[in-house]
Amino acid sequence: MVSDIVSIPKRFFKTLSNLRTGIVLLLLVVIASALGTFILQRPVTDTDKLQAAYSPATLRWLDRLSLTDVFHAWWFLTLLGLLSLSIIFVSIERFPNAWRSYARPYRKTDAHFRSGLQTKAELPIKNANDGLNAADRVLQKLHWPVERIIDGNQTSLYSERHRFSVMAVYVIHASLLLIFAGGIVDGLLGYSGYLMLRKGQTGNVIELRNGQKKVLPFAIKCYEAGQENYADGSPKKWWSKLAVVQDGKEIKAKEIVVNDPLVYRGLRFYQASYGPTGVEGVRVVATPTGGTAREVTLRLNEPVELDPSTTVTLAEFIPDFFIRDNQVFKRSDDVVNPAFRLQIKKAGSDQAATQWIFPAYNPVGQGQDADYRFEYRDLQMGYFTGLEVSHEPGQWLVWAGCVLMGVGLFVAFYMVHMRLWAVVVPDARGKLVLWVGGQANKNKDRFEQKFEEVVESIQQELDRASVAPRSAHKEEAELTLVAVK
Amino acid sequence: MATRARVVRMETPVATPSGNALLVLVGLGVAFLLITALLGAAKSGGPLFNESNLLYVALIFYAGAGALYMGFGVTGVAKYVKFASVATAIGFTANTLAVAHRWYQAGRPPFASIYEMLLSFVWTVAALTLITEKKFGVKIIGSITMPLAVVCVILMQLLPSEVRPLVPALQSTWLHVHVTLAMLSYAACAVSFALAMMFLIKDHFPTETFLALTSALVSAIYIAVVATRFEKWGGLSVTAWDAKEKSDVFLGRGVRLFVTVPDLGWLFVMAAVASLIPLLFYFLARAQKNDAYYGLANKSIFIGVLLQVVVLAAFVLRVRDASYASPYQEGLYPTSLAASPFILGGLVTGVFASLLYMMLLWRRSDLEALLPSAETLDRVTYKTICIAFPLLTGMIAAGAYWANRTWGSYWSWDPKETWAAITWLVYAGYLHMRVTRGWRGRRAAYFAILGFGVVIFTFLGVTYLLPGLHAYA
Repeated sequence: MVSDIVSIPKRFFKTLSNLRTGIVLLLLVVIASALGTFILQRPVTDTDKLQAAYSPATLRWLDRLSLTDVFHAWWFLTLLGLLSLSIIFVSIERFPNAWRSYARPYRKTDAHFRSGLQTKAELPIKNANDGLNAADRVLQKLHWPVERIIDGNQTSLYSERHRFSVMAVYVIHASLLLIFAGGIVDGLLGYSGYLMLRKGQTGNVIELRNGQKKVLPFAIKCYEAGQENYADGSPKKWWSKLAVVQDGKEIKAKEIVVNDPLVYRGLRFYQASYGPTGVEGVRVVATPTGGTAREVTLRLNEPVELDPSTTVTLAEFIPDFFIRDNQVFKRSDDVVNPAFRLQIKKAGSDQAATQWIFPAYNPVGQGQDADYRFEYRDLQMGYFTGLEVSHEPGQWLVWAGCVLMGVGLFVAFYMVHMRLWAVVVPDARGKLVLWVGGQANKNKDRFEQKFEEVVESIQQELDRASVAPRSAHKEEAELTLVAVK
Repeated sequence: MATRARVVRMETPVATPSGNALLVLVGLGVAFLLITALLGAAKSGGPLFNESNLLYVALIFYAGAGALYMGFGVTGVAKYVKFASVATAIGFTANTLAVAHRWYQAGRPPFASIYEMLLSFVWTVAALTLITEKKFGVKIIGSITMPLAVVCVILMQLLPSEVRPLVPALQSTWLHVHVTLAMLSYAACAVSFALAMMFLIKDHFPTETFLALTSALVSAIYIAVVATRFEKWGGLSVTAWDAKEKSDVFLGRGVRLFVTVPDLGWLFVMAAVASLIPLLFYFLARAQKNDAYYGLANKSIFIGVLLQVVVLAAFVLRVRDASYASPYQEGLYPTSLAASPFILGGLVTGVFASLLYMMLLWRRSDLEALLPSAETLDRVTYKTICIAFPLLTGMIAAGAYWANRTWGSYWSWDPKETWAAITWLVYAGYLHMRVTRGWRGRRAAYFAILGFGVVIFTFLGVTYLLPGLHAYA
């Protein structure tokens, strides 16, 4: 019994460190994610649409299985967690072996090793030293780093390239974990929301995705926002001039566009949308009888002083009007045929004069006389800029993971660990030969070509050396000597 | 592999009269289409070297190459393959010019809409086909990739192609990085798929299983169309098309207006049934262990192809620029082939798949003789995936970085994102199985085929079936 209990963590480790478990987990993640794209997801779908798509009973079951929010469901997160654990455990299981062969590569050329190697060649030679030296020179010339291995009374050559590529797979898996870690950090500490500002407005309360509000320790002021269009009328650019305001001081200012956010204290403010809030007022030219004209902007219920004794107020705005029985009524909310009611007040008088402007018929205001003539100019539209706010402290882990993964993949796929051995041995008939062997951990067909080229160069060098045998001794001093126990 | 029973027929002199007849025929066909196109262009008075003309030239040559590959399939004349390769190269040149022209015209790389992405995709597929052919000696890979290219170019002829200015979210260098990587990796996946198919052919994968798969694919296409588009009393519903606006007719936001083409539905039902029959015979043969049923299955495939061609012709004739009534709104509404690119694409794919199967059925030994060894094919498949996978990773990373700059979040489980991740996971599974479990040959080939299926779904399926942020393509 006791041993059973003790072995549970062990068995857990054993199961998860099995590659097959990893693949099954991967498959489950794939299936769950696919389900998450086929079934409408609550966070991105309106409730009405969900209710229209599924019957109440189906919807209840989908909700109960959290299939309407797969990517935030506990079981999906558990799956991802198990997958991460599996990656870690598989790596732990395999790492010691890999590290051993990485740290202490097999350099010896004993008979057993020689017979087991696939790629090899034997070149007849006359003299042991000359043969090895010729191989040495060729490898040096081809930029293979050469080590001279002395094993008992036998001397052999060992050379390798890109040994680190065997560790690349661990780099890739570590980078994947780094990305997951970034995601977890953001899931726990990150938040994102929305901030809507009108021109000139300052705000510091953002509305989070879950409907809650969050107050920032500083405020964002929107000076100006706008849209530029292409010739065909489709939007080309949205921009906002923003400033960070803290304790009444402006700390940082930036004009943001869609792909270029404002970043302050780890918070990023993105241009997400831009649009009209509606008609905010009207611009009119006010001309006093016998005086000079003046342009004023009138907003609803905000009195504007024309001269010290006269104020004018936009008392009513009707976007689309019609007249019946000498009364003005609203037809619709579309700004197609607007009407404005102005009230002109004299200081010290309770009475106000009323004038109507119907720009479609007559730009000049009509109604009671008020010593002023009002002429319509244009509508003043109000605009808002929609800012997406997000705080993602984990994103740097994610980017680091991406870069690391790029490096890891490059090394793993395109850098080959290649090894060469050379030793002088007697062949089957007792004649002295230079035995050359090679091995690559991938792309073996290309390596074989390369190996043949090396062998051919050695053969040429041997032929040359037999013509001029003096040069053999010179290079020996430059060699690295590595003794193998 | 060394002791092959069948004789390699490549070595025999190929100057048989029938051998040249097809070359002449395809040559004449290409020349005729080119001259017609030239006359058409001259008559319309537009510039001769514009993108749509170039694309048309590319289509002609790709189709010519496809015809020659098919011709090889029917006659076994190895010379066709060489000419097909030349036709591919010419088509590729025209395609390159089309891409360049569009790039020049738009002042930006052509990646902004599904049309432009298909343009780049076809280009990459053709480029990789030529590379695989020349570098790895897989001479007949074009017989799979060229029909794919033809289907894509036909789709492109129907999709709205005018150069649209970029909406704000797309104005980013990351768009180009992201989409370039996507197209390169998808095209590499397509080539690995073709190579995996070649591997199965070379590996003596039973022709009967190919029969079952072809039949299953074709019936899946027809059943999907019938299931979604069959209307009461045998009609087929297609989207209404606004020729002036060059777009589908919308009733409301995202709600398309459908019109019903009478009687066409029955034809589709017939084709669906006909394409299921070979599959039934296949299962009968398996169940009763009687090979005679395979002969019946092959015959019914042949009949199925004829019926498919009839359906295709009927669809093209009836849907092309005609007006039909709609069950949802009174009055007649025009429709056009442009409104149903995916039905058309599906039909053409079905015909090509069946023709490819017949080519395999009749000329398997010649095909095998032209292919390098199974080991080579297996290795080259793996190599293409080794190219595709890092590109896929880079595509996702670039997309995430760009999303972070635009939408404020690097990962939002949008369908496109999720499916890109699924694609990545499938290929990751392939690599793990191959490297650590030593999966070679068939199982690896199945995985490569499955991977490409997922890629196609991510590329086209998600765009048209699943709603999401990734609305541009």
